[in-house]
Amino acid sequence: MWNKNLLPFVMLLVCCSPVCPESASAQETGPRDKYTMLTMPYNKRPLTLYGGQFMASAGYKFAIRSQTFNKEGDKVYLKNAGTGSVFHYYVVNARYGITGFLELGAETSLIRHGMRSQSVTYATTSLTSAERVTVNEFREVKGMGDLLLTATARLPLEYKWFDFSLTGGLYLPTAKNEQDKPSHSVTDISTSNTYTVNYRYNYRYGFGVPVWLTGAGAKFSLGKYSLQAGLVYTTPREEGTGTRWDQTLLTSKTFDYSEKEYKYLLSDSWSGTLSFHYQATGWFDVILNGSYNKTTGGWTEYWGNKYRNPETRILIIEPSFELQITPTLKVCQSAGFPVSGKNCDAPFFLFTTIRFSQFPFLR
Amino acid sequence: MKVFDIIRKIILSVSGISATAVSFSQTEKPLMPSDLKQQTIVTEPVTLRKGFLRVGSMLNYRVADKYFSDDGEKQYYLSNSWGTRTSFNFSLQYGLSDRFEIEFRGEYMDTRQESEKTEYIASTNTSRSVVTKQKGSGIGDTYLRLRYQLLPENRYLVSLTGTLQAAIPTGEKNPTDIYSAERYDLPVGQGNYALSCGFSGRTVLYPYSFTASLNYVWNFEGSKKFSASDASEVTFRMGNVIEASAGVNLHLNDWIVFSNEMLYNRKDKGTINGNTSSLLPESWSLSYEPGLVFQVKRFRLGESVNIPLKGISIPADPLYMMLIQYIF
Repeated sequence: MWNKNLLPFVMLLVCCSPVCPESASAQETGPRDKYTMLTMPYNKRPLTLYGGQFMASAGYKFAIRSQTFNKEGDKVYLKNAGTGSVFHYYVVNARYGITGFLELGAETSLIRHGMRSQSVTYATTSLTSAERVTVNEFREVKGMGDLLLTATARLPLEYKWFDFSLTGGLYLPTAKNEQDKPSHSVTDISTSNTYTVNYRYNYRYGFGVPVWLTGAGAKFSLGKYSLQAGLVYTTPREEGTGTRWDQTLLTSKTFDYSEKEYKYLLSDSWSGTLSFHYQATGWFDVILNGSYNKTTGGWTEYWGNKYRNPETRILIIEPSFELQITPTLKVCQSAGFPVSGKNCDAPFFLFTTIRFSQFPFLR
Repeated sequence: MKVFDIIRKIILSVSGISATAVSFSQTEKPLMPSDLKQQTIVTEPVTLRKGFLRVGSMLNYRVADKYFSDDGEKQYYLSNSWGTRTSFNFSLQYGLSDRFEIEFRGEYMDTRQESEKTEYIASTNTSRSVVTKQKGSGIGDTYLRLRYQLLPENRYLVSLTGTLQAAIPTGEKNPTDIYSAERYDLPVGQGNYALSCGFSGRTVLYPYSFTASLNYVWNFEGSKKFSASDASEVTFRMGNVIEASAGVNLHLNDWIVFSNEMLYNRKDKGTINGNTSSLLPESWSLSYEPGLVFQVKRFRLGESVNIPLKGISIPADPLYMMLIQYIF
């Protein structure tokens, strides 16, 4: 009798317990538990977002261009010659899972990078005077990059230990590939033939023509360890037309500029990545990533002739981590060390990304 | 009796689970004595508790790429040169009482400046390269700081802390190992004593904390060589400095804090041999410093970046900082 009276009280206590909804949702393993999906460790989540999941990322890359690879593949130390420089690269990215197997994405970037060339002084010495002209050359690349739109499809299976995806996309140019008017100047004028010429070229960022992107990815997980591989190929849709500026230094120490058009075809680019992941805890993923990029083909017109673009390649090793701060917030950080390459810059970089994720239409 | 046993177990289980359910909302955890040394920059007291000792190290790194000109424009250095400045700070903090803290800080500096310029001489049809290679490595200046809670935060909504700091010029102040005008070792110390005092306020509204501070630095007269070609030391006095800051710190979770700070710094004109000099110009800067601070048990790891927003006659490159601390 006593037990029968106690039973409704127990039921009431269970139902009114504040933990009831939490514990119930925590036990659900299906796709309706958004907190489980938002906090899913790397080794248990698929290559694309879950259906209904939205993710926005903002990243900042600080790169130090202190060395470069020449055409023989040897490292050239730029900082010894005083021509090292830094990149400030910002990227924003938004992705949305249409279903658990199809994801749409958009990405754009912003760059600011100034490169100094070696200063040269031309001196003519006579018995009565020494006339000196010093020439500084500086090139700045600044502005918004192209808009990349992507669609990624993965295997229509629940992720257990293997996943595969295919990506298609298009870079839409946000601006024409037109060099802004240079802003050269003449300073430190002490006599009519002793002064400093500062050549300053202003470049925009972006391809200037639409560029196709295709890619494939695969992922394997075994316990706390995962291996991910990816391959991306980009190719221009068409030839582009750009503009360059020529200049003449006048006796008034000012410049006369003239604009010239030229044709170009962007190089094709192949990028391969291989990353090894260790899920140390549910909220901390340690990554060792290797990436290889190679460009081939393409040409650029100079003085009416087409010159083949130099073939470039670079291999970079990137130790990184991903940290889950809150269910909706993650921070990722990586450091990039260029190992080998040819005909390209070899910057060391630190890349920090903050990712916000949510299911906007799911309670 | 069997049914009674089952019911009793259910009651006990549900009661236990209910008690833990409170932790799902973001509230400040009740503090255990063992947690006192594991508090974050938001929850810890403004000064160290009595008898607590904290050791720490901070790495600062900056490259020379851009600067704010005399008229406040952000410009690149046009001439080709590559400069970096790295400093490793080592600090010891000790709580003399629950309101009074003493801090000793030393630094190891590494400064580099490299360039290579080519000169063509038309009359002889020859060329030569002028290579500049300057580096400065060594122990820099030393700082001693006292902090006292004038209005302790356990009694007032906003705490007020007074700070007194002395800078002792222990670092080499002159260029050394001079081979030529282009090749010598850079100085790593300022070369003058300085005294600063100020106040800082803080209030904690968990998960936030709000901070503000005001500081004034008196620079005393010193003497040093400003250039490798100087035959002897000259007397100088750097301009006095006003520093102000305001910040908001936010707990992203129990052990990660997102810090935000706006900093203002204004330095008066300095003098060399009693006269104003272009080497010690008047300058000011306004900068923003976001950062992440991780509290892992007694370890504290942090990284932040100081981004100059506005200013005159100062470097305009970001300053990167990494911090590690341990409390005994």
